Amino acid sequence: MTRKIAVYSGDIPSTTFIERLIQGLAEEGNTIYLFGKQKKDVNYPANVKVIAYSSNTSKLYLLAKYYLLLLLSRPKDLKQLKAICREKYNDRYFHALSTYIPVLYYRPDIFHIQWAKAIADWIWLKEFNKKIVVSLRGAHINYSPITIPGLADIYRKYFPLADGFHAVSNAIGYEAEKYGAHSIKTVYSGLNLENFPFKTKTGIAEGKIKILSIGRWHWKKGYDYAIDAMRLLSDQNFDFHYTIIGGAATEEAIFSRDDMGLNDKITFVGSVPHNELKEYMYDADIFLLPSVEEGIANVVLEAMAYGTIVITTDCGGMAEAVQDKKNGFIIPMRSSEAIAGKITEVAALDKEQLNTVAIAARKTIEDRFVSERMAGDMTKLYESVLER
Amino acid sequence: MSKRIGIVLNNVPAYSETFFHNKISGLLARGFDVTLFAEKNGNEVPQGWKVVSPRSLPGSMWLRSVYLGAAIIKLLATTSKTVFRFYKLERAAGRSNRTAIENLYINAHILSCKLDWIHYGFATVALRREHVAKAISAKMAVSFRGYDVGIYALKHPGCYRLVWENVDKVHTISDDLLVKAYKLGLPTDIPIVKITPAINANDFIVKPAEQNDHTINILTIARLSWKKGIQYALQAVMELKDKGLQVRYTIIGDGEDKEKLLFAAYQLGLTDNVVFEGRVKSNQVPEYFKRHQIYLQPSVQEGFCNAVLEAQAGNMLCIVTDAEGLQENVLHNKTGWVVKRRDVKAMATTIADVAGMDNAIKEEIRRNARTRVQQEFTLEKQITAFEEFYND
Repeated sequence: MTRKIAVYSGDIPSTTFIERLIQGLAEEGNTIYLFGKQKKDVNYPANVKVIAYSSNTSKLYLLAKYYLLLLLSRPKDLKQLKAICREKYNDRYFHALSTYIPVLYYRPDIFHIQWAKAIADWIWLKEFNKKIVVSLRGAHINYSPITIPGLADIYRKYFPLADGFHAVSNAIGYEAEKYGAHSIKTVYSGLNLENFPFKTKTGIAEGKIKILSIGRWHWKKGYDYAIDAMRLLSDQNFDFHYTIIGGAATEEAIFSRDDMGLNDKITFVGSVPHNELKEYMYDADIFLLPSVEEGIANVVLEAMAYGTIVITTDCGGMAEAVQDKKNGFIIPMRSSEAIAGKITEVAALDKEQLNTVAIAARKTIEDRFVSERMAGDMTKLYESVLER
Repeated sequence: MSKRIGIVLNNVPAYSETFFHNKISGLLARGFDVTLFAEKNGNEVPQGWKVVSPRSLPGSMWLRSVYLGAAIIKLLATTSKTVFRFYKLERAAGRSNRTAIENLYINAHILSCKLDWIHYGFATVALRREHVAKAISAKMAVSFRGYDVGIYALKHPGCYRLVWENVDKVHTISDDLLVKAYKLGLPTDIPIVKITPAINANDFIVKPAEQNDHTINILTIARLSWKKGIQYALQAVMELKDKGLQVRYTIIGDGEDKEKLLFAAYQLGLTDNVVFEGRVKSNQVPEYFKRHQIYLQPSVQEGFCNAVLEAQAGNMLCIVTDAEGLQENVLHNKTGWVVKRRDVKAMATTIADVAGMDNAIKEEIRRNARTRVQQEFTLEKQITAFEEFYND
């Protein structure tokens, strides 16, 4: 019997890694249900069912259709759901009902919530004996419960009621245990290696060291520390160029770069298509992740697959992928001195030493961060949840 | 006849924007005929103020043409000479027909007035209005703010070319901003007047409370924004804590960086040392001055900073960075201490040094600071300076 799994993020299509998960799970033979708002056209295998709306009109249509279907097939269930909605969502009754009715009609064996913050909205599924799995990803676990008043309490109330948790790294799993998460399985995000061919570097270029960071402008990426570090390097007359690919640069970034006299040493690049991104990766001597918060940064895994030397902070689960001096380099968070120090250290290594690191990095990805493995591990998590 | 001054801002200033409130009310009290050209955005308009608002352009091209046409016919009927002069100036400066007409429209509310001075409260509000003063035979004045010369111009190189060509007099709140403006091409032969912000010092004077323990109590009042450099201050507090000092850091203010800073404090292990108070009414500020000894302004970008003036009046030992006008606000080793911006170590060391100083030295610095603010940064002086600015 195939399992019916709802992969719920609210958006169709969702982020790159959730899309990758959907593809993988479908290939494993699961029947996948996607509920939510359709934002773009999508092309999925036949065992992926999309029950989505794109406008208020189509949402109303969904409500009417599945209301009727439920009324005819399982009127008791419908009555029960209406009671739940009335009690919990007095003011947003129709909104809640129209979101929940299609899910109740299809009754997936497992409802897999991708963004933990949504847990309170789906806990009603427990009353219909459905299993809930929650993904533990980045900000939702690492800082939202600290910065959003009341969220920690919601987690403490509902996490114990879920049936299982998927952690993107061991580190985030430990963090979530503070809020009562249990039955946690770490499933690393996986790359499709065909898209990330390895290239041996000819060694760090003589002269100018090219440093690259990729990721949107958000405080959690720690770019302020990275730019401060570049000033330290510049003060030491270290020859480098730093490129940040992250969309339109912020006022802070533009001001800081100018204020520290780094206009000719730092380049901000807007968004870049995937195939060009590859060229930036190959061209860079060092890929730098200065983040202060991550689940596990995919872009680091990609750099490792391409064969670009990685320097990363030890935030979130980064240390689970990168071992200092073995397959990359690790520095403490929130220290521009550490960033600058590590860059000069890496720049002093010879070609052979760097190649050893790059090859070890590629092997790490091949062994532990491939997409086939991700879908298989996730299926195991579902199996264990269903057995319980 | 009293001088007619037009002050141009984007919006009617909020009550908390004391600079413009003091200036406008002060000039009115001294008999100037002041008109404020600004959008009414819900901020309360004080009694006696004359506010003229621009009409906004509709989004649709078709409606836009109709609005433009109607407004220009109306303007032509009343002040056709002004309209032609403005249009000619715009065209001569290389602006397209369309831009010239649009600019005519967005400035219609000013062009129909008779004024001796048009004073743009920020350099950025002077953009697309560079020829208004000439067109109505008024003089043009511009004030610089940190944002104008520190940030906007970086994103839009060359944006002030026409402002420089047309401005008659410039007002700056600090020498540092002026240096930046010269770098941006402000001609050196244009008269400059420096008029700093001012406060009513008496509102803030309090006696610091006796301290019985060894805790270093630090206070910052700032919007939670990257410009204020609060993350550097948090790092400095962590260094002090690592040295074994007892520190308590209170931050008053709110803003877009709240999430970032709350998480930074948590991650740096400072949850027990740092208090985010949120917004506080200005009449409650002196109570905070009483309970803290050191006022820290860790900014990376700061035009001048009223909060630091208030802290000096309030008997605080002030440590500020060298960002723009701050080093003119606080005189190093005389009325407080100035450290390099973005320099966590310098900040931490100075805080520790100041906390450990002899009471006599502390008292002297406090007295110097208070006296200087009471004498140099008074509202009276500020208004007199503006009076001279327009009468000269």
